[in-house]
Formats: sequence, C-alpha cells, structure tokens
Amino acid sequence: MAFISSGYDPSSPMKNRITDIGPRKYSEFYPPFIAKNKGKWAYHEILEPGVLVHVGESGDKVYTVRCGTARLMSITLIREMCDIADKHCSGYLRFTTRSNVEFMVDSEDKLKALKSDLAARKFAGGSYKFPIGGTGAGITNIIHTQGWVHCHTPATDASGPVKAVMDEVFADFQQMRLPAPLRISLACCINMCGAVHCSDIGIVGIHRKPPMIDTDWVDQLCEIPLAVASCPTAAVRPTKIDRADGTKMNSIAIKNERCMYCGNCYTMCPALPISDKEGDGMAIMVGGKVSNRISMPKFSKVVVAYIPNEPPRWPSMTKVIKKIVEVYAANANKYERLGEWAERIGWERFFSLTGLKFTHHLIDDFRDPAYYTWRQSTQFKF
Amino acid sequence: MASITYKGHEFEVDEDGFLLRFDDWNPDWMEYVKDSEGITDITPDHQKILDFLQDYYRKNGIAPMVRILSKNTGFKLKEVYELFPSGPGKGACKMSGLPKPTGCV
Repeated sequence: MAFISSGYDPSSPMKNRITDIGPRKYSEFYPPFIAKNKGKWAYHEILEPGVLVHVGESGDKVYTVRCGTARLMSITLIREMCDIADKHCSGYLRFTTRSNVEFMVDSEDKLKALKSDLAARKFAGGSYKFPIGGTGAGITNIIHTQGWVHCHTPATDASGPVKAVMDEVFADFQQMRLPAPLRISLACCINMCGAVHCSDIGIVGIHRKPPMIDTDWVDQLCEIPLAVASCPTAAVRPTKIDRADGTKMNSIAIKNERCMYCGNCYTMCPALPISDKEGDGMAIMVGGKVSNRISMPKFSKVVVAYIPNEPPRWPSMTKVIKKIVEVYAANANKYERLGEWAERIGWERFFSLTGLKFTHHLIDDFRDPAYYTWRQSTQFKF
Repeated sequence: MASITYKGHEFEVDEDGFLLRFDDWNPDWMEYVKDSEGITDITPDHQKILDFLQDYYRKNGIAPMVRILSKNTGFKLKEVYELFPSGPGKGACKMSGLPKPTGCV
C-alpha cells in the first residue's frame, strides 16, 4: 500500500511532538447513571450467571451483562462491540480485569433486549461471540499471555490452550455451581506474566532441555556477564573456546546437570535458544488465590510436572484441568477456594482424590526455603 | 542479516539497526546512525556519553545501568533524552556499537 503520512515529519522527529499526556481520564467514559451514582452504591445482586444489578442509594439500578472474550481480537470485533453498545447502552462499555466485556443498561426492558441480542451472535465457525457468564462461583475468563502469537521465549502457546480449556469448562462459565470462584490462568513460560502463580489453577509452559549455545555469536550479541547473572542455579559461566584458526574467543559454558531449563539466559542472550518441540510442554499448578477472604493469599503449587504440547486442542492438559475442577466441585465446602480445600484435606488427599500422580519433580529442591515445604510432622493420612 | 555500506565501510546490522559486532564500529557508524535517531549534530556532550558507554563495555562486558551512566557522565536522564531522543538504550547504545539491549524491554 502506498505510504500515507500521519503528519509526522521523520526529518525533524521532535517537532510538534506530544508526550507524557497519560491515559484518558476514566470519568470521560462513564455511563451517565454510573457518574451520577459514583461512590453511592447500596448493594448488588447476581440476577443470573453473567448478569448483575447494582442499586444506588437513590434507588437507581444499573444492570451489567458480562460476556466472555478471547482477549486477542480484531478491530472488526471491537467495532461489533461498539455497535452493541451504541444500540443498547448509549455507546458505553467496559472491560474487566480478566478481559471480559461488560455492557451496562439502566432498565430491565433494555436488559432483556441486550441479553437476547448478545446470545444470538456467533462466528461463522459456530462459536459464541459474546457468551454471557463469568460471575459468582463459576469459572470466568482465563488470564493468559502471548504464546506463539507474539513472544520469543514461550514453551507453549497461549490462545490455543485457552480456547481448548474454556471449551472444556464452558458450562461453568455460564453457571455458578462451584463451591467458590475458580480462577484459571496460563503463562507460556516461567516468566509467568499474568496470574499463574496466584490462581486456583495455573498452566505454565516449561522446557526440559538445556539451551543450545551459538558459540559464533555469544560474544557479539550478548553481554556475557548478564547471561551469567541471569541463572538462578549458577549453571552459566563464561569460558573461552578455540577457533578453527587457532585464536580464542569468548563464549558461555552451561553445566547441564545444574540447568533446570528456565530459559532466563535466553531472555538475556539471543545466542542461547532453548525451545524444543518434543521437550517443551506445560506444568499444572493449583491452589493459589489473591483475595484475603477467610485465608491469606496463597501461591499456587505444582501438581503436574509435565504434560506434552498437543496442538491444536491439548487434550491431555484439558482432561487434567477438567478432572481437578470436577473433584474440587464434588468435595470442597461452600466458599472454599481450591487451595483452602487442598490444605484442609491435606495434599496427599488431594492427590488420591484427583488421581494425579505424585512424582519426585513436585518436591521442592530450590535453595533453603525448599526445606519448609517438606513435612516435619508425623501428621499424615495413609 | 542485512549489511549497510556507508562511506566505504560495510556494517552488518540486525533488523533494529544495531551493529552485530562491536569490533565493526568506527566513527562513521555514528554519522550513519544519527539521522535515524533524530540527531542533527554529534556534539561533545553526545561524544562524552558514547565514549563512556564504549569504555564501560570494553572494561565490564555489559552496558552500564542508567544510574551509572548518569553518575559518571553527569547528565540526568532528562538530559540524556534531550541528546538521544530514543533514549540511552535504543539511541546511545546503538550509536556506540554496543549489543542490542535484551530482557523484558
């Protein structure tokens, strides 16, 4: 396509430059009834899965319809959301912290029209464009990352597995039958962008082989001390290697028996690629939470050390997730988050109920704190 | 990888315009880069920063942290940006021939 200038002049880049203006103020985009009742809400109710009503002290009511989104979306779909907002909500909408979209109206008639409009919209392939749900004690959207769509360090994909898992647990997006909300998150490498480390169920991409060393380029492309300092187990050290012509060159050596394949050194040094088709896969973690309700926030814990990548539907992984959800739903008490349940019944019971295999990989061996995760007690169930 | 010929020198560069080899650097490289970095003339202030980056890299094998750059050259970050509009990483490091910054940038 021909070049179309926005008015920016590359020969004097600082001319007419606007900077440090920050985001638009949120109140510019308040629906009128939100602006009017801000800070004066009396109570709220969940009318049905995906539909909330907030009642103001003045008696004003605002109905919210929450819909799932794929997070990664085209401008076409955003425009369709804008059309819906124009048609039913005077042009207003919002996105939640889990990338759901919420449409708000101020009367029950409008709510009814909005709901039936949303529920009828589907993609050509048959998927719902705007499935209503994600409230209360169910499974809402999956917080996830870039995966093979955009990142250079992933050990698995993000959008693909998320679609596969949400298809598997879709019924729980549209109902509220669980003991408590169940948060699922996915990160495609152990950078853990997002919320994997603090979710009821976390899916995280892992490697199982040490990085390759591109010796020709290590010293050119990398700041070697950074690569050395990036290793949590000190497996990386600088070294010199002999060239064919008899001269020496700087490089990196990795102690494979100390390497646990985190890939941090590749993040710092492009000459240490690590991803591997057969080696890479995902680990499953459970039991994390961020809220302070009843128990303190918790980290999630690794319960499945490795599941292979099986694009495009990741059947082994989705099966494990489904199993954990079902066993939790059948056994936990009301209001009990997955982590609270597992800690109450004991992790050995968690493993026997879910049928997950306990392997030596799950036993913490990282530095002094590992010791505190072992059992210094005779309290144990057979 | 692309290579650029400028004033008789050949420079091998990556897609972001960073030199692939620090050893390929010579003063003409700065002349070549300055246009794409929004710099009209290389002043002594520019030169001071570029020289410090190169010395530090030769000595330590890494680019200095921003605070170290500021403390040694005496330029506050704001002044560094006035000199190099793209900033110390994309602007100054590129001109001084250092490897491309890595990590979650």
